[in-house]
Amino acid sequence: MASSAASLYLDPQIRDWVLFPITLVMILVGVLRHYVVLLLQSPPKQLPKAAIREQKALARSQILRATASFSPIPPTYYHAISKHLSDAFESGIYLKDGPPQGDAPTTPANPLTDPAAMDGMMSGMKTQMVMMVPQMVIMGWITFFFQGFVLIKLPFPLTLGFKSMLQRGIETQDMDVRWVSSLSWYFLNFFGLNGLYRLLLGGDNAADASQTMTASPFAAAGAAPGQPQDYSKLFKAEREHLELAEGQYAWIGDGVEDRVLRRHRRA
Amino acid sequence: MSLASALETLATYRASNTRASQDVLEKGSLILKSGAASNLGDDSWAFLEQLALAALDVGQIDIADQCLQKLTEKFPGSPRVEILRGIRMEATEAPQTVLHYYNELLDANSANAAAWKRRISVTRRMGRVEKTIDDLSQFLDTFYTDLEGWLELADIYSSCNQYTSALQALSHALLLAPQNPFTALQFAETAYSAGDLPLALKTFLIVVDMGEKDLPSVQDLPPTGLSVRAWYGVKLCARQIIAHPSTTSSASNTAVPKSIRQIDEVATERLLVHYSGRGNDRSEKRVLQSWLAG
Repeated sequence: MASSAASLYLDPQIRDWVLFPITLVMILVGVLRHYVVLLLQSPPKQLPKAAIREQKALARSQILRATASFSPIPPTYYHAISKHLSDAFESGIYLKDGPPQGDAPTTPANPLTDPAAMDGMMSGMKTQMVMMVPQMVIMGWITFFFQGFVLIKLPFPLTLGFKSMLQRGIETQDMDVRWVSSLSWYFLNFFGLNGLYRLLLGGDNAADASQTMTASPFAAAGAAPGQPQDYSKLFKAEREHLELAEGQYAWIGDGVEDRVLRRHRRA
Repeated sequence: MSLASALETLATYRASNTRASQDVLEKGSLILKSGAASNLGDDSWAFLEQLALAALDVGQIDIADQCLQKLTEKFPGSPRVEILRGIRMEATEAPQTVLHYYNELLDANSANAAAWKRRISVTRRMGRVEKTIDDLSQFLDTFYTDLEGWLELADIYSSCNQYTSALQALSHALLLAPQNPFTALQFAETAYSAGDLPLALKTFLIVVDMGEKDLPSVQDLPPTGLSVRAWYGVKLCARQIIAHPSTTSSASNTAVPKSIRQIDEVATERLLVHYSGRGNDRSEKRVLQSWLAG
């Protein structure tokens, strides 16, 4: 092995005209992509008042429930609030479009016909395009011009298992695993530059490949806040949670006099 | 005062929401004159906003105008700057004009919480209490988690002697900040004003309990700060309940504790302990003793 490694010498021109350019181009494209994504991002959508009210209605009951077993408020007030919320959820006055009328269709709107949902999906797609297109171009550039180039020799020995990772595009059995091919150098950079981007552009930069590559454009749209949710169903479920919390309810003032007296050794 | 330390103080004020307007103005105008604000980077905009608010607070409208000018140039159409402009208008313009301005902002975006809150505060200042309560209730129905809003509502109700409604508003505030003894104390005092003595007693005891819970040994320590006020409340309620046990009623059906006499004793003792460690000045203690006796 040592003899075959020693018999291979790389032209310094490969270092100057292939290795460095690939690395530099990838870094610059990453930085550029970050700024393009920033430009493409549409401003966050303004929700109308009624929609916010609908969203926050659930939070109201969650806040009430959160402290139910050591509630800071006395029983009359707790039960009044709990009953009010429960009634409101049943009649649906917190729904964005007001209480449902009779037998109106209750199927959720198709996200593809709703322009608001479409916007969210489109922004996800745009980000994906900015992500994918430059990577494909760079990869095409490397395979077209530098197919089969050996670029660099790693300064440490590796086992044969790394051969497919480090010598992609070179089908030789005998070459030492320490030699890295051009295509493999591209992949190493692709996944390895995220740390550098984080240094250059800050924590939540858009150049970071690891986050965006894992998410498909449609999955990103699904998680967007604009996605339609059937609040009347959520409200029904929340009513049951409220009833459960009612059973757990205890006022923090129950027995507080005993706690204080015990601390002052009077009980 | 060096520039660096002035900047640092201002940043601390911003982080802790301290309203030390005079101090902010003195340090801020120093920085503004020296032109160091441009070296701050993105922090400089927050600094300008802080200085503008402080200047308005103190009445230095020209400085506020300078800041506002810079901010408008940098962020045209920013909702935050628009609110700042509104606050600037409140300082000099007629309330109707400002109200109109806020109405326009809300027409453009009905969910602009900051403009809505400003509008409520302007209506309150104009003395239109009913309209304020209406508007504020609607606001809180939409933005339930606004703690300041609930406290403000309680304050408005209290100022109209509507203590029961104030208690309802405060109970929401308590839900939102269950760990804050000041809210609990306000609840207790409002309950006392509403005439619900057992509820007030219980809540005063909750405040005491909150303050003592984490102390290693309460017996040796005199009560301090909030606890003193709470103990006064306990004493006040306990004394009246003991004096008129039959007429004590509770709108919230809170039971009078059985150990009411021990509570009364402990409250007396704690109050005396608080004033006993105060050196030669005996007059405070004498006043307290005569109150306790009376």
